[in-house]
Amino acid sequence: MPLAYSLPTDLSPATVVNASSLLRIVALALISGAAIASRLFAVINFESVIHEFDPWFNYRATRVLASEGFYEFWNWFDPTAWYPLGRVVGGTIYPGLMATSGVIYSILHGLNLPVDIRNICVMLAPGFSALTAWSTYMFTKEMKDESAGLLAAAFIGIVPGYISRSVAGSYDNEAIAIFLLMFTFFLWIKALKTGSAFFGTLAALFYFYMVAAWGGYAFITNMIPLHAFTLILMGRFSSRLYVAYSSWYAIGTLASMQVPFVGFQPVRTSEHMAALGVFGLLQIIAFAELVRAHVSSKQFQRLLYASVIGMGILGGLAIVGLTYKGWIAPWTGRFYSLWDTGYAKKYIPIIASVSEHQPTAWPSFFMDLQLLIFVFPAGVILCFRELRDEHVFVIIYAVVASYFAGVMVRLMLTLTPCVCVCAAVAFSSVLDTYINPVEPDAVEEEAETAGDGAVSASSTAVSTSSGSATKKGKKAAPAAQPGPLGGLVSTVSAVVSTKKGEKSRGIFGGDTRLAVLLNALGMLLFFVLHCTYVTSSAYSSPSVVLASTNPDGSQHIIDDFREAYYWLRQNTPETAVVMSWWDYGYQIAGMADRPTLVDNNTWNNTHIATVGKAMSSSEEVAYPILRKHDVDYVLVIFGGLLGYSGDDINKFLWMVRIAQGVWPDEIQEPNYFTAKGEYKVDDGASNTMKNSLMYKMSYYRFAELFGGNQAVDRVRGQQMPKIGPTLDYLDEAFTSENWIVRIYQVKKEDPLGRDLRTANAFEQGKRRKRSKPVARRRAIV
Amino acid sequence: MLLPLLALLFAPLCLAASFQTDHAKLVQLAASSNGVIRLDEHSYKLLTNPKRTWSASVQFTALDKKRRCGPCKDFDPNWNAVAKAWSTVPAAERDNHFFGTVDFDHAMSIFQQLGLQSAPVVQVLPAVEGPRRPASGRSNPIALDFSGGFDAAPLAEQLSRHTPVPIPYKAPIDYSRIASGLFVLLSFVAALRFISPILKSRWTWAAITIITSLIMTSGFMFVRIRGMPYNGPNGQWIAGGYQTQFGQEVHVIAMIYGTLAGGFLMLTLVVPNQLSPSRQRMQIYLWTGVIFVMYSVLVSIFKEKNRGYPFRLLL
Repeated sequence: MPLAYSLPTDLSPATVVNASSLLRIVALALISGAAIASRLFAVINFESVIHEFDPWFNYRATRVLASEGFYEFWNWFDPTAWYPLGRVVGGTIYPGLMATSGVIYSILHGLNLPVDIRNICVMLAPGFSALTAWSTYMFTKEMKDESAGLLAAAFIGIVPGYISRSVAGSYDNEAIAIFLLMFTFFLWIKALKTGSAFFGTLAALFYFYMVAAWGGYAFITNMIPLHAFTLILMGRFSSRLYVAYSSWYAIGTLASMQVPFVGFQPVRTSEHMAALGVFGLLQIIAFAELVRAHVSSKQFQRLLYASVIGMGILGGLAIVGLTYKGWIAPWTGRFYSLWDTGYAKKYIPIIASVSEHQPTAWPSFFMDLQLLIFVFPAGVILCFRELRDEHVFVIIYAVVASYFAGVMVRLMLTLTPCVCVCAAVAFSSVLDTYINPVEPDAVEEEAETAGDGAVSASSTAVSTSSGSATKKGKKAAPAAQPGPLGGLVSTVSAVVSTKKGEKSRGIFGGDTRLAVLLNALGMLLFFVLHCTYVTSSAYSSPSVVLASTNPDGSQHIIDDFREAYYWLRQNTPETAVVMSWWDYGYQIAGMADRPTLVDNNTWNNTHIATVGKAMSSSEEVAYPILRKHDVDYVLVIFGGLLGYSGDDINKFLWMVRIAQGVWPDEIQEPNYFTAKGEYKVDDGASNTMKNSLMYKMSYYRFAELFGGNQAVDRVRGQQMPKIGPTLDYLDEAFTSENWIVRIYQVKKEDPLGRDLRTANAFEQGKRRKRSKPVARRRAIV
Repeated sequence: MLLPLLALLFAPLCLAASFQTDHAKLVQLAASSNGVIRLDEHSYKLLTNPKRTWSASVQFTALDKKRRCGPCKDFDPNWNAVAKAWSTVPAAERDNHFFGTVDFDHAMSIFQQLGLQSAPVVQVLPAVEGPRRPASGRSNPIALDFSGGFDAAPLAEQLSRHTPVPIPYKAPIDYSRIASGLFVLLSFVAALRFISPILKSRWTWAAITIITSLIMTSGFMFVRIRGMPYNGPNGQWIAGGYQTQFGQEVHVIAMIYGTLAGGFLMLTLVVPNQLSPSRQRMQIYLWTGVIFVMYSVLVSIFKEKNRGYPFRLLL
């Protein structure tokens, strides 16, 4: 065999094996380091702070767990959330995340390392991303080999699609869930390959951990049955499949029912019925196989098949019937809206209002996955080429996850691991082919090439190759045409029958190798640059602390949120109830430590709609609502001064819509638009808009700030009227430096029993308007 | 034709403002036209009598072709279907709620009077007097919201809040759809024997898989859910902005992705089987070039969408 470049010959095979395993370990360690390091932008640019909204609740719960112990945490009833209803925290959360940090906290303290619980929470996501890289390596190793595994680990370590959910400080369920997802899948593949109940049980245990950690566990609950079902349809039922699935399902389901928030859902809801159905189907098939092995009569076998199919149909009908009768709950709204995409907007506006539930435009895919997004179809094709049981899994995963990621931005997270695996398979195949120094034997005659192709095509693989030729027909239609295209066709058909042509596959020459490898390396380098850029610019902002640049290029930190929350903490009684839109509930509870009406755990639509109604009605209507809920302070987010676009006026229409869902007679969305149907806040705004509490609180005294000049709202780019709104029932209590957070105190009822508007007018020295001036009494002559 | 005549005939009576006759007239008008009164200025005044004991729902629309109101055309059949469903209610209840349609080209002054700038709009006029006066005493019209779409079922549901009895609207069974579905299913079963080799071929499934994921990752669902147009005004096909896209972008991006993936597959699967060194070399350089150029094109299109993106390749 000719070689394209020479290899050292004086190495013993043992040295090569040892060196490669050492290199693998070093590479994995470096990948872990890169994965952790690239997530630290947020800490370096800002500080070690918990990000966004949900993490603040997780952090608060973890603090309770760390300081008061597990049992207190488990029975924790939080009277300050959803005032006055309160919230049973232990039964309404996935405790996996808090438990993980709690365990790490106690281990570190057991080792006399007094680490603050906040730092554990901040660093948990980067730490787990290293574990994700490792589990992706293990998973991909099962698909192809170690080198593909290393590539996949490197991809998932730095890909923005995963970093977006796991930067330091983003202390959310997804932080540990992706590791659990990949590791459960790896264990499932391992169990399926070996047919071992041990790995099946391990998969079940990690499935349990996943159930305890993230609501997205339903993805595993449906992926594994779908895989098993597809294998059955492909006629690949085996005792390995039976053992792996049965052990996973039985133990996993029983274990998952121990999580209080899940409870009896695995036997009562439609999301879990696929797993149960496939479990039943497998039992029937296994029984049939058993009987078939022992009974010889042909007619009896036929009867057996008929009865098996009959039982399967009966079982399916039973599930449908139970759903119809209400014994099994139908799909929940969140899940259902994945299929019927118009559903959420019509019936559950709260779900539709969240920005991460919007559909995904293609630039988001490219931003999050860059070159992986177009290399991954090539990897899927390579999986089809081999099509072992585990490849079927990846293929199903690719189709399902790319649909879900298209429907909802946040589900990009589930697509990312699969894309990394497939792209790594494709990339490492390219590298394998072009690094391999062996050159094939050159065959110059063209006739022989064509003949070789024809022979291979007419062998056992006839049906497959003809099928592919018709499917991929556009590329290879004129099959009989001689010349380069004909050669291409013959090579395609040679590829399809994988065993043929194996003898003399390979690449000639060194320059060709160099061209392809340089191109590939350049692409990988670009990928790294892209990931670094996206991570540092787009995904590392804590959103609690904002940053802008000064004219001289230095960074200016905008810290309005914490300023306002600390004002609340320092200056208000501990029992003061704060009303705000639900987005800020967790932050107020976590940073200001005050009771809130609604928060990001959007379980009570009516309560949220009540807040929406108060915000979108006039002061007179809102005041009784505020008083009935004991509201002392109202907090609004206003970005008009600074140009912060995520403010409450931009979210206002959702408040209106949600309130309208409950009070359609009192709140109507069209009233908030101008006659031309525009959403305006300037002079042309509709009266309902101008009188709404939200509008008044946002723009109260805003015009004064401009000292007689034209006031401009910098988010909406509209000029505000010279005379701003007035407030009678609320008092401005605090406005932060850049006006992002404004806090208003709700006035108590007037001690003289007047309504507050009249009282206010009296204070300002205004007379009551009379229709006629009273005639001056005339002296009687 | 008949309507103005009728109105003219009854004009003196109207001036007398005899209540019973007004109501009777409305009932007659409704009965004569499938439950929907085609309103003009005069009959609109009749319907919106400030002392009315009945309620009404009125559609404001512009159906004339020159108005180019697509939504109006979509909405009109649904409106008529709901009104027709209402006309099947027993007379005692039916005559307390009327359905009317105001077309822009027949009654421009009503549009001006109400300050309506867009169509279609549906207003519900509650009863002002009599037993059906709403408890809140509200008499000004309530505008319906179309955020749930123009479908008849949600419309009937919304309107039922204001009618004396719920509108008995049932979505008609779409027989043609069921029949075509059945036909496809049956022909599939019949053809199963002949196409089963295709179905059993893994490459059929590979093609389905790849096409699905290419389309999904180029934003097909975004275009569908948001109802984005195929391309923008004056023929531009790239929607400016990172968060949005047009229908044509799905095609272009899926093609680019497909070409790039194809290039990779060619390099790994096809090229190594080439037995002539010179031809193989040519193919390798060809596909490497294709990958590089297509990648540059992709990055430059992305730069078009995301202006702040600092990287670029060839272009």
